[in-house]
Amino acid sequence: MDSKFHPFVLPFSIGFALMLAVLTVRYVIWLRGLSSDNRKRIRSNFFTVNTWEALVEIFRESLVHLKIYKVNPMLGFMHMSLAFGWFLLIVGGKLETWYYTGDFANEMHYAIFFRYFEPVTSGFWMNGVMVFFMEFALLMVLTGLILALAKRIRKKLMGMQNTTRHSSGNRIALTFLWFIFPLRLFAESATAGQHGGGGFLTANLGAWLFGGDSAASWELPLWWAYSISLGLFFIALPFSRYLHIPTEMVLILLRRWGLESEKGFNPNKGLQAFEVHSCSSCGICLDACPAINIGQEAFQASYFVRGVRENSEVEAKATSCLSCGSCTAICPVGVDVEQLRLDKRSDIFTKARFSHSYLPGSMTLWRDTTEVVLFTGCMGRSNPKTTVAFKALLKEAGLSFVHVDEKDGVCCGRPMALAGALDQSLMMKEYNSNLINGQNGQVLVTSCPICFKYFTEEYNLNIPVMHHSQFLWELMKKGKIKRDSRDLKFAYHDPCELGRGSGCYEPPRSVLAQLGELLPVDKERDKALCCGNNLGSLSLPESDRRQITARTLAVLSANEPDYIVSSCPLCKQTLARQSSVEVKDLAEILLETKPLRVKVPSYSYVHQEAGR
Amino acid sequence: MTKQYFGFSVLEQRSVNLDSEMPAELESLYQKEPSLRACIACGNCAAVCSAGHFAEMQFYRLNVMARRGLLHEMVGKAAACMLCGRCQMSCPRGVNIRHAVLMMSQL
Repeated sequence: MDSKFHPFVLPFSIGFALMLAVLTVRYVIWLRGLSSDNRKRIRSNFFTVNTWEALVEIFRESLVHLKIYKVNPMLGFMHMSLAFGWFLLIVGGKLETWYYTGDFANEMHYAIFFRYFEPVTSGFWMNGVMVFFMEFALLMVLTGLILALAKRIRKKLMGMQNTTRHSSGNRIALTFLWFIFPLRLFAESATAGQHGGGGFLTANLGAWLFGGDSAASWELPLWWAYSISLGLFFIALPFSRYLHIPTEMVLILLRRWGLESEKGFNPNKGLQAFEVHSCSSCGICLDACPAINIGQEAFQASYFVRGVRENSEVEAKATSCLSCGSCTAICPVGVDVEQLRLDKRSDIFTKARFSHSYLPGSMTLWRDTTEVVLFTGCMGRSNPKTTVAFKALLKEAGLSFVHVDEKDGVCCGRPMALAGALDQSLMMKEYNSNLINGQNGQVLVTSCPICFKYFTEEYNLNIPVMHHSQFLWELMKKGKIKRDSRDLKFAYHDPCELGRGSGCYEPPRSVLAQLGELLPVDKERDKALCCGNNLGSLSLPESDRRQITARTLAVLSANEPDYIVSSCPLCKQTLARQSSVEVKDLAEILLETKPLRVKVPSYSYVHQEAGR
Repeated sequence: MTKQYFGFSVLEQRSVNLDSEMPAELESLYQKEPSLRACIACGNCAAVCSAGHFAEMQFYRLNVMARRGLLHEMVGKAAACMLCGRCQMSCPRGVNIRHAVLMMSQL
């Protein structure tokens, strides 16, 4: 065959051209939405090492999918075989045409349908390598395809409990994608069977299936079908979840150039558009979500982002979520779902007008130096046991302290921010900043992880901020609090805001390991489940929250601990109201394991509230 | 006009009229946060309220105002909330108070 053209290549060529046109239009619109700061960042970082690093990351994540490997090796292998295998086929096809014709600038369809135009190729040893390489890449994609089919039929085979329920448009695109590779195999085999040539796959399959003269009529229809399925897939790509394939690569580049999300909820322009369309709905976030299969409507990240992408109603999805951060922590693409959700919430609650102008001034003019400034937060005031225990521990360590929100406290502002009303917490922030800065202290210790996260991230205080678990571990390390190990078994519950939110996993564990045996928990650290009452959830009904709590408790009490320990007042109260195992705060446990039998101070709720 | 019964009186606007229709805004508020119907105005929320230390913020009263149709007054009072969530932890009826206040404040 001399000609390098046959009408069957047209469906592919047209489909590919259409895809390119749509992609260009969409990307130009999104890029035009970038803020001027972000454009500056692109200009200044374009010719730096960042671009190279981005290319390396594209290879590692978009093609080999290393992050998925870490979560689930089988799933990682599936994604790798499909993506990297196809990439090898494309690159190999181009190299093939270059090698055999000596001309690099071939037409695209010539490389894609190479075996139809040149069934038998000859050359030195390189020919064998080429043929083997192409067949190997095809086998790789087909392996991935078989795994993907197996996942559709029985997701547990691939180690998944839940997979995304795709919309009909995405299912159609998926069908085209699945047809591409078997059709390629059969088309190449038919050609090999009729004209000779082919490698270990196609030559054998061709001889077996398409060897006889009667099979000659099969060859062209198969090539037509292959081309049509390619063309249809490419047409569907920019309108389906497969848009993530090119978009993720662009997103990696943009991130490496240091771009930051534009303010507000604008999923159709700027960096947010690239982020939203990089989500592949792979469903890895589903198994990580503590609220999976709870509630009337699935609001998991995968569905939320899809809703945003399709411009459908996502209000309930945005406000039901607990904002525990599990999905963001596990997302292989690194989509910042948490921020996207907050942006959506601020979009929903635009009309909410809060005013805290009633707050009195909190400036302190002069105070003697004190070592510890203690802030227990709103929830802490509903949790006097923790506060009393922590104060007793401070006394044991011989530290002076001042409890700044003992009688009346003002919220740190984080709950407001979690509701998307970040800018409305300014007065609370100012009140607390003045209050704390005026104490002339050396360190601010808070027993509430919610406050801790907000103090460290949003406040600009004149003293360092520590969570009480960190502070207690420091005291133990310095030997100011001494404890012997006892015959006690603990299960530690990671509060979302402290663990995933602030990256503090070790200090509370170190303290507990000194006091007794720290039991392993099935889902812990960055995979920890939410207690069910994270302040991020707004519209999730109480009954659903209780289901989440029950689930978390089942995981925590699986190894029969003596105590479930947490270091968040909200987690503690939430778990305690449903738990059969006693739930205690880290400070309480530490105080109660004091060697000499010292009278534990009595807890008085009335005393706490007496200052009203 | 005030009716006199046994030495105490009921203001006309506060009298319970089961025939009157709910204002549309209130209907939508209850639709958005159905758990509001469960409120029995026990006052736990007000007892623990962080904002209540400084301002006149009592959630159960907001709900009572809403039921009486004093929507404008309710929206004004709801603005004091800090969304800290203590009330929700202490609510015996499982009312989603934070979401309810968010909804109330933007009626």
